[in-house]
Amino acid sequence: MSKGAREASARERIAAQRAASRKQDQRRRLMIITAVGAVAVAAIGLGSWYAASRNAAEKPVLAQAPATVNADGTLTLGKPGVTGPVVEVYEDFQCPACKALEDSSGSTIKNLAAEGKAKVIYHPITIFPQEPTRSNSIRAASAARCITDGRQWLAFHDKLFQNQPGETVEGFALNDLVSWGEDVGVTAPGFPECVTSQKYAQAQANQSAKVLKNDKLTGTPTIRVNGKDLPNQTAYVPAKLREAVLAAGR
Amino acid sequence: MAAHIHVSRWSLSAQGAVPWVTTIARLLLGGVLIAAGWLKIGTPALSVQAVKAYELLPGGAATAVGYGLPILEIVFGALLVLGLLTRFSAVVAGLLMLAFVAGIASAWARGLRIDCGCFGGDGTLAAGQEPAYLTELLRDAGLVLCAAWVAWFPPGRLALDSLLGLSARPDDEEHDLDEENDS
Repeated sequence: MSKGAREASARERIAAQRAASRKQDQRRRLMIITAVGAVAVAAIGLGSWYAASRNAAEKPVLAQAPATVNADGTLTLGKPGVTGPVVEVYEDFQCPACKALEDSSGSTIKNLAAEGKAKVIYHPITIFPQEPTRSNSIRAASAARCITDGRQWLAFHDKLFQNQPGETVEGFALNDLVSWGEDVGVTAPGFPECVTSQKYAQAQANQSAKVLKNDKLTGTPTIRVNGKDLPNQTAYVPAKLREAVLAAGR
Repeated sequence: MAAHIHVSRWSLSAQGAVPWVTTIARLLLGGVLIAAGWLKIGTPALSVQAVKAYELLPGGAATAVGYGLPILEIVFGALLVLGLLTRFSAVVAGLLMLAFVAGIASAWARGLRIDCGCFGGDGTLAAGQEPAYLTELLRDAGLVLCAAWVAWFPPGRLALDSLLGLSARPDDEEHDLDEENDS
């Protein structure tokens, strides 16, 4: 073999070695990237699933606790003889965060009352100063005041949140409010007239102003257990809300 | 001649600084993402509500984003802090920030009165609170720039990508390698 040929074959060998090691390196790199990617995707999947399960609402029990409509427009929900812990729910029918609270924790609150673990008081108030949200809220809450049966009131309350309008549009139309009331079983002859004339609009506005001032609310929704505000991180997580109420009762 | 030497010295030291700037940008962007995700992940109902407050996505999609976004932020924040899959993570984080910028700008343009919900909360403003759209936009635009820098000059110092040999071109030998590949 000539010197030139030897050099050429050596060069080829080196080139082949380099190519092989480059290939190996590429394979290794691909493996690491795939592994990291798989872990990341799994973490994102698991995290989302965890979030969804954490937010899962409790199944509502069939037999609800007795409900009484009070003169000031509030509703008391609780088994006879249960005096505490007292869970107060301050909400505005127009407030989207209140709807979110109802969606996640609403059934837990009702269940606690049904189990005799809490006495629940709903305070429907109007917090919006600007239109169209203010009038939407007043129409809905004053319509609720036209209902005297506690069970129907609570069903109407749920119906209002299910049909909550957006914050930039006019909603809770009077005739809708009347038909939703009839949907939940209100048969009192004066009901349609009470709703369409907005008989309790002024009472609702006054009551809201009074509650906002006296009860020192920072906003809606507020869940107050034995007079203490629950942090959002508790109120919006059904299992944590239940635990907090049970702890207050021990 | 002297001027020429000066310039090359400057560019040399500037080149040395580039990977460190990348590291700082990574930590900043990754840190903000982790904090934002962490503050939201415990209260999914609020996270969903904050997405809905933008009134941009239909209900089902808003719920999915509300559940998935916090963990997505944490995962990509962690990848950036570690310097793992740096360029890809920076691109994803940059697109995420651009989406936030678009969302906030659109809320502002439509006259919505919301909180961005970036670091938890339900998107509603507290009583008497004014929207802070401009601050939120500037902050997110700054983070878009961080993401762009990291995507341009990955992976920076103290990056797992370098340790694992994942960065195709270790920063300083970039040009040498190029030449070698070309020949």
